[in-house]
Amino acid sequence: MTDSPLVRMTGIGKRFGGVHACRDIDLTVRAGEVHALLGENGAGKSTLINILSGVITEYDGAIEVSGRPVSFGGPAGAQRAGIATIHQELDLVAGLSIAENMFLGREPRTRVGTVDIRRMRRQATDHLRTLGADLDPRRLVGSLRVGEQQLVEIGRALSLDARVLIMDEPTAALADAEVERLFATIAELRRAGVGIVYISHRMAEIEVVADRVTVLRNGGVAGSVDPKTASRDDIIQLMVGRSVDALFGEGRNEPGDVLLDVRGLAVTPRRPTPGRTEPAGVDLSVRAGEIVGLAGLMGAGRTELLETLFGAGGSGRRAGQVTIDGRPYRPHGPRTALARGVAFVPEDRRGAGLMLEHSVTDNVVLSALSSMTTLGLVRRQAVRRTVAGELRALAVKAASPAVATATLSGGNQQKVVFAKQLLTRPRLLLLDEPTRGVDIGAKAEIYRLLHQLADNGIAILLASSELPELLSLCDRVVVLHRGRTVAALPRASATQQAILAAANGDDAKEAR
Amino acid sequence: MNPPSPTVVAEAPPETPPRRRPIRLPRDRHAIVDSFFRFQSLFGLVAVFVIAIAVSPVRNGENVFLSSGNLANIVRAVSEIGIIAVGMTFVILIGGIDLSVGAVLGLAAVGSATLMVDSGMGVLPTVLIVLFIGAAFGATQGAIVARLGIQSFIVTLAGLQAARGIARMWSGGLGIPIAYGDGPQEAPESFSVLSGSINGILPVPALLFLAIGVGALLVLRSTAFARHVYAIGGNEKAARLSGVPVRRVRVTVFAIAGLLAALAGIIHAGQLNQGSPNDGAGYELDAIAAVVIGGTSLAGGSGSMGGTIAGALLLGILNNILALNNIDANVQLVVKGLVIVAAAALQKLRPRIA
Repeated sequence: MTDSPLVRMTGIGKRFGGVHACRDIDLTVRAGEVHALLGENGAGKSTLINILSGVITEYDGAIEVSGRPVSFGGPAGAQRAGIATIHQELDLVAGLSIAENMFLGREPRTRVGTVDIRRMRRQATDHLRTLGADLDPRRLVGSLRVGEQQLVEIGRALSLDARVLIMDEPTAALADAEVERLFATIAELRRAGVGIVYISHRMAEIEVVADRVTVLRNGGVAGSVDPKTASRDDIIQLMVGRSVDALFGEGRNEPGDVLLDVRGLAVTPRRPTPGRTEPAGVDLSVRAGEIVGLAGLMGAGRTELLETLFGAGGSGRRAGQVTIDGRPYRPHGPRTALARGVAFVPEDRRGAGLMLEHSVTDNVVLSALSSMTTLGLVRRQAVRRTVAGELRALAVKAASPAVATATLSGGNQQKVVFAKQLLTRPRLLLLDEPTRGVDIGAKAEIYRLLHQLADNGIAILLASSELPELLSLCDRVVVLHRGRTVAALPRASATQQAILAAANGDDAKEAR
Repeated sequence: MNPPSPTVVAEAPPETPPRRRPIRLPRDRHAIVDSFFRFQSLFGLVAVFVIAIAVSPVRNGENVFLSSGNLANIVRAVSEIGIIAVGMTFVILIGGIDLSVGAVLGLAAVGSATLMVDSGMGVLPTVLIVLFIGAAFGATQGAIVARLGIQSFIVTLAGLQAARGIARMWSGGLGIPIAYGDGPQEAPESFSVLSGSINGILPVPALLFLAIGVGALLVLRSTAFARHVYAIGGNEKAARLSGVPVRRVRVTVFAIAGLLAALAGIIHAGQLNQGSPNDGAGYELDAIAAVVIGGTSLAGGSGSMGGTIAGALLLGILNNILALNNIDANVQLVVKGLVIVAAAALQKLRPRIA
């Protein structure tokens, strides 16, 4: 490799109206290096990445690729220069095969002009092998798990001869095992001399995978550190500009009586859906004012359990006993669940939580409309007052309650989902990955909110794939493995090792 | 075709690349622009109205288009399509479509004629029974859509065939003329009120259309039901998880569409003094056109009843002024096509509420 870095960005600036999205940012990516980019939402990461990947074509400053100044006319230009981007939402066509996706738009041709399917499959297989993935290139992308789809994207980047790979929150939707595999792939790419720009909110990953960390704040570079020497607190402080001792709160009230009790819950689906793990023997209980964590690998059935408890799961024969306040609870659907004081914050905020094109007001009041209507007519005054109060209570940052929810940042969108559910005055809150895709500042606020809710006597059942989150937040952690509860670890004995061991089914017998 | 990438959407405003997002304007100017797009069909209606006055033939110093007789005729002519379009708006707002309304109109026209002429029923029972048939037909389609999860396009395409078939079986395949009088095989005189006018100016069908339009407008503005309709169109899954009774709302919406199509069929029979099983063919497409011109998105979740009413009137004025100028009916079709595309194109330019 030559001495000049693969990419050198100097003095990058970009304004949107009066707002500096980026100002005077320097960033270099060297061959075989993983350069992590950190920052809260709004810090300027996306803008910087969009400039580097050719999405934004007008900006201040200069970009050099391998020492030569470049100026991209669009994403295609960046790709030709060897810069490929893997977006958080993967740009794949579910109805096409792996090979077709990899070569979409540049399919190899035979002499007569038809698509050379065999060559396409062979090359696809080769690229996947390089990544250590043994996937049949004929499989439809829609049938792959997210981690596998990501490999297809990376394979596509390789087939484009990408020398710089931008990965935007690649682990956001991955289970732990898949994360391991992704890291192995990254190590492979690094050995091959690919430079990687790695964006993530997860501190623990950065420590493992990154060679260098650049932290952005308010559109500028807040600092550049070596993750091997810098402490986690240092990095967080760079990100938020202040110390965050209060990030993980302590000191909670004693929990009250058992609110939710689940004994031997199992669902036999009428038509099994591939990829779904219905509850197959779940025992757990949540007391009022208690936060119980739900741990498990991807596919362990966490989401399915929460959906079942909310009446939103797959249909099928149900066994076991579920009680709320000691009275039997068999939700037929979300409406009956809400009527019993059970609320649910789904994992997929955009797909299942919000109407993105609708106003913040419309979203916040949707679940509790009946409390704001007379004879079916909506009382506007009541709606306005309720929404204003709720937005203030949760410190939602929005230009006005009338703006489209899509214009809010991820953290604020999540707060809107919370506001909607809290308006139903729930006694049991079911949360599925409540801090996914949320920056660290908003995360801290959500944690504070959860503690506050628990202190007010609300029972919380929280599924998360972030172990530190479970460990710091929960009074107890219940571990699922293949739809069964295999361990219930009280706070004192819950460690990452114990949870992971149980989640992998290692001491399943012991926990029985 | 693709929605804007959620990655972009979810980020805070300053980070989003301008390419994927319409231009953000300062708030006050933005409000003006937005209300233009929101009420585009109203502006379009005014524009078409002004143009119509300008190009109208003048007879004896009087602007033909502006004569009260002509204006009344326009509203009368659009009243059936307009009433259907009101129901269609609800369906499209939940992200559905109802192709059966034209056939239900035919079924209702046949039903009205048969019940009064052949079965000797009074006006009130006839109207109630026919309205019930329309609502039940719509509700059945809605229930199939909601329960089996089949797309409404398919269900109502099947419904179109079925309604047409039932109408033909019921009528023996022929139009049933309605004669008025007290004798057998004669309908009560009072049914002919549908072809009359109030004070000789406002045609009864026009009055019904306007009343229903205004009523639906109020329902859509201020009821919880309407919030649920918009929510289902915006994100059905989120609506369901938020406790919106999705199935019930969906069945209700299709029942409304069927009910209003049946009402249009009764009016149709009253105006033409007959009920033919082939009545209303293609009306569903005109109704969809009115809704689209009114700025309601076929994707569901956004749109307004005022737009639909304006859209229906706009189509009526367009047909009227072209006819007044003796322009070939086939040209009228082409113009109608252009207007639909223009209205949809305008909506594409609409900046998102920011």
